[in-house]
Amino acid sequence: MKKAYNETWIDNLHILNTADHWSEKKLISQEQLESARNAFPQQFYRPGIFVKIGLFIFTLIACSFASGFVSLFLIGNGAGENISVISLICMAGFIFFLEFLIKKNGLYHSGVDNALLYAAMGAAVVPFVSLFDNLEVWQYCIIMFAFAFTATLRYADMVTATSAFLLLFGLLGNIMMKFPVGKAILPFAVMALSAVIYSLVRKDKSTYYERCTKLIEILSLATFYLGGNYLIVREGNALLNDLNLPFAPQIPFAPLFYVFTLSIPVVYIFFGLRKKDRILLILGLVAFALSVYTYRHYFSPFTPAQELAIAGMAMIMLSAALIKYLHTPKHGLSDEQEGKRKLANLEAILVAQHLGQTPVEGNNVEFGGGNFGGGGAGETY
Amino acid sequence: MNTQTILKAFVDKAVISDEQAVLIADYEKNKSFSLHWELRSILYLGIVLFSSGIGVIIYENIDTIGHQVIIALIAALTGWCFFYTYKHALPYSNGQVKNPKKLADYILLLGCTTFLILEGYLQFQYNVFGTRYGLAVIIPTIIFFFCAYRFDHKGVLSMALTGLASWLGLTVAPLSVLAENDFTEDRLLATAVILGTVLCIAGWASEKQHIKKHFSFTYIFLGGNLAVLAAITGILSDNAELIYIIAGLALSAFFIQRARFAQSLLFLLMGIVYGYIIITYLIFSNIESDDASFTFGTFYFLFTSLGVVYFLLHFKKFLGIKK
Repeated sequence: MKKAYNETWIDNLHILNTADHWSEKKLISQEQLESARNAFPQQFYRPGIFVKIGLFIFTLIACSFASGFVSLFLIGNGAGENISVISLICMAGFIFFLEFLIKKNGLYHSGVDNALLYAAMGAAVVPFVSLFDNLEVWQYCIIMFAFAFTATLRYADMVTATSAFLLLFGLLGNIMMKFPVGKAILPFAVMALSAVIYSLVRKDKSTYYERCTKLIEILSLATFYLGGNYLIVREGNALLNDLNLPFAPQIPFAPLFYVFTLSIPVVYIFFGLRKKDRILLILGLVAFALSVYTYRHYFSPFTPAQELAIAGMAMIMLSAALIKYLHTPKHGLSDEQEGKRKLANLEAILVAQHLGQTPVEGNNVEFGGGNFGGGGAGETY
Repeated sequence: MNTQTILKAFVDKAVISDEQAVLIADYEKNKSFSLHWELRSILYLGIVLFSSGIGVIIYENIDTIGHQVIIALIAALTGWCFFYTYKHALPYSNGQVKNPKKLADYILLLGCTTFLILEGYLQFQYNVFGTRYGLAVIIPTIIFFFCAYRFDHKGVLSMALTGLASWLGLTVAPLSVLAENDFTEDRLLATAVILGTVLCIAGWASEKQHIKKHFSFTYIFLGGNLAVLAAITGILSDNAELIYIIAGLALSAFFIQRARFAQSLLFLLMGIVYGYIIITYLIFSNIESDDASFTFGTFYFLFTSLGVVYFLLHFKKFLGIKK
């Protein structure tokens, strides 16, 4: 599959990012950084995240009204064939503009190309849905997976990669659900497929697909954990078998799932720290939190409020202790500030949004509880 | 692409010398794995969970636990937090102050939060402020403003702004401006526009006067959002007064103007989206027939959105940003 973006530039971009990082660490001088910039040029148009969002929104508006414009002439009586013709014409147009703008303006995941790609993908799927409207779910999954996978290979786009991943799991689930034995071993199948995908994407070392492989790593690690999580399996089992009981019944192999729920986060965190793999580490932490939630869902002596307080206290003590402990680096771990948080401004505002609601009314005081969002989840990759 | 290949490429292109390449390779091999942001995130989340949990526990057991005990505990915690912050504070300066004490920022945030809990509790139990709710809100607001400037903390500044807004009966929290503000009242609408504009001016002034320049983002983001959304609500309501139109467009222009100083392109996005909404509404509210507006709309949206895309692709040229 021929790649859409200029690979040399992408490699150079990667090199320059590394050089920036080294110059922050004072390993190379400012002049050397400049000469690196001259030696490895790249001409991509990469505005910040916010301009990207704006470009994305307005390109989508343009796409939808462009297809409306085409429909004015061809809609006829609105039959399936007409719709298909319109969407094919639109798809061709979107792809033409996508390729043209990538060449002309040096776009590289800059909002416009993302929007055009998704619009083209949407238009490509329409004929299948409007002409063959009685296929099985898994057949749709295969068709869409083919599109998403091809698009991912060419454009290395994160959303198409995610949708290809999810379609694959949809396909697996839909086929497994057809047989009684399939339902029983679905968790293991999910875990097996995740493991296979993870080992496959770990093999790919190219810079071009770096973001996609990272994302798929995250997703496959997440599905691997969720496939073995006791709570998900138990509730999912009840859901799939239409058991309308007040609470989900015990599942077969329960001890095995206890072990999974407990051990997977620990293994993730351990290997994350040992291999210095941030993805594994963060997913391990999140998985650990989910495991704690799983435990308290079934065996909890406390009220939710007490749990919150205890969990919060434990987190504060743990992190404060570790910050103190790692004041001087130990075991190859440190608490050194790496780079600036890109969105520190917004973070401060969001935190204040959770903490800053002043109690006003006398009787129905809400003591800062109620809604929890991501209180400053600053992941910097 | 790993460190080795990059270093080799650098040596080949004579960017760095061989010795330096060896040094860098050595550094990359032995560098420590930083847990900085993970630990900070756990800490933040812990603070949020803990304060919520404690708040609910107090709320549930407010009649069984001795009130004085709880008040004493919260007051002690608050006092300790402020004492710690004060003890480790650096001298005031108009620039950005970076506290080497790693926990100082978080402790101040915790102190401000527990202060709010303490106050709410006193009001709930002993009705300290009676029905003078305004007083109950303005006291922490003043304290937070003072702390934000004295200890240089953006989070506390946004808490202060939240307090200021709720003193006027508004909320500035970006995600709940439209959901929680009662914009059906004209008085509140006008208040929101005025307060937001004043905050924008405050942000602009702190930039101009070099007093805590890094605070200007918080001022303009919170205030501007509030003012523009209120102005748009005013325009969409039936009595679209000229003053709202002028305010909305002026603010949009102001955002785009702020983006020129490359503080944050978030302002460029806000200015364009809000401005687009206002102008589009003004045009379409003046077309009477449905057919005409449908046909015209197809072309209008197609060409204007293409125009905006073109502008955003070349915004640096248009705005004269050299970067």
